[in-house]
Amino acid sequence: MKIREHLPLVEAPESIWASIEAALEAKERRRWPSLRWRLAFAVLAISMIAGTLWWRVASRDHWIQTGANAGLTLRIGDIGSVEVGPNTRVRVVADRVDQHRLDLAHGAIYARISAPPRLFFVETHSGTAVDLGCEYGLTMDADGAGLLRVSRGWVSFEWQQLESLVPAGAECRIAPGGGPGIPYFEDAPEAFKNALKNLDLERVLDSARVRDTLSLWHLISRVAPGDRARVFDRIAALSPPPEDISREQALKLDPETLRRWREELAWTW
Amino acid sequence: MRVVDLSDREADAGLIESCRRGDRRAFRALYDQYKDRVYSIAFYFFHGDASTARDATQQVFLKLIANIGRFRAQAAFSTWLYRLVVNVCLDEARSRKPRPASGAFRAEALAVADSQEEDFARAETAARVRAAIAALPPKFRIAVLMRYFDDLSYEEMAKALRCSMGTVASRLSRSHKMLAERLKVLVE
Repeated sequence: MKIREHLPLVEAPESIWASIEAALEAKERRRWPSLRWRLAFAVLAISMIAGTLWWRVASRDHWIQTGANAGLTLRIGDIGSVEVGPNTRVRVVADRVDQHRLDLAHGAIYARISAPPRLFFVETHSGTAVDLGCEYGLTMDADGAGLLRVSRGWVSFEWQQLESLVPAGAECRIAPGGGPGIPYFEDAPEAFKNALKNLDLERVLDSARVRDTLSLWHLISRVAPGDRARVFDRIAALSPPPEDISREQALKLDPETLRRWREELAWTW
Repeated sequence: MRVVDLSDREADAGLIESCRRGDRRAFRALYDQYKDRVYSIAFYFFHGDASTARDATQQVFLKLIANIGRFRAQAAFSTWLYRLVVNVCLDEARSRKPRPASGAFRAEALAVADSQEEDFARAETAARVRAAIAALPPKFRIAVLMRYFDDLSYEEMAKALRCSMGTVASRLSRSHKMLAERLKVLVE
């Protein structure tokens, strides 16, 4: 049964706008504060902005380098924390309410973030880890090769036009100059993981479980156009797509179709 | 009743800029673009109670008008608007006494009782679906409505609900299990 069919649009009564207008007019009739108060507010606001800017400039852009046996914890606003592992070079590049951004040159971090998506970012040589509300570990060497491992929630790793969405229990290798690889679940069969590593599509498709549609969904847009249909059909065999997911649109890599399909498949991940 | 048209989900940047400048006609145009979607979510959220849905819709747009200067253009306008919808609906739900799923949807089904039998069966099914949604806990109910009413992505929903994508997925998953349980008589 389709729930959506039973939720038709209900027209808003015209009287709502009339009450909104009445409320606006009542508000406009209220007097503005006196000139003295307005000036006082302005001086206070300018002082606060100047102070905040000074603090941000002073606290940003300094690299932190941990020793072989050292580590530290960075507090990320009021949304979480990041543990910085040994032999790690990292710096804060943005620390605002609407954006917290670290730059990881090399080493290991473990982030615990509890926030809406896209408030916390970690930049690396090979792309950006975008927090979607989660807990994850990220290791990166100086050349830009790394591994993202998610323990809770979801992380998106983005590089140029490439994006890998990594849910809890999955990991994703990051290649220098190549961005994020195909994510896979840590508990996937070894045959599947090896086939993925060796780009052996035949064996990847053969050894995939329902849960491995995570990897197959990412493969759709990365295999040669001639192979897309095989990947689509294998996913469909493992987890039949809903009626509104068009095979034709998916094979054309229509972003909206792929997004909707991913969110349906995510129930099995 | 109309089918949801998602083609105009995002408001034009020029229109929002005019709203920022306090242009009353621009507010009206923005209101016209979103009013039915906001009202519909409130209507289903509040068990088909048209009066509460009306008040909630009014509150959403008054907050929108008061705060449009804080809207940052790099975010999707619809996500920002839905955050207001979520806040108003959940605040209102918290301030009200818990109530059983209303008979309003049931009455709607009975209203078509004199039409064809098939129409009645369909209306009865629709009423049961809406009543099942209305019986979900508020945080689950709003997630289901945003997903199935306006087709928001997990990421958009997470931003509007101010939670992680994992939480959105979990709330939807649990909501679906509850709905499946309550609606199984229709499938059997």
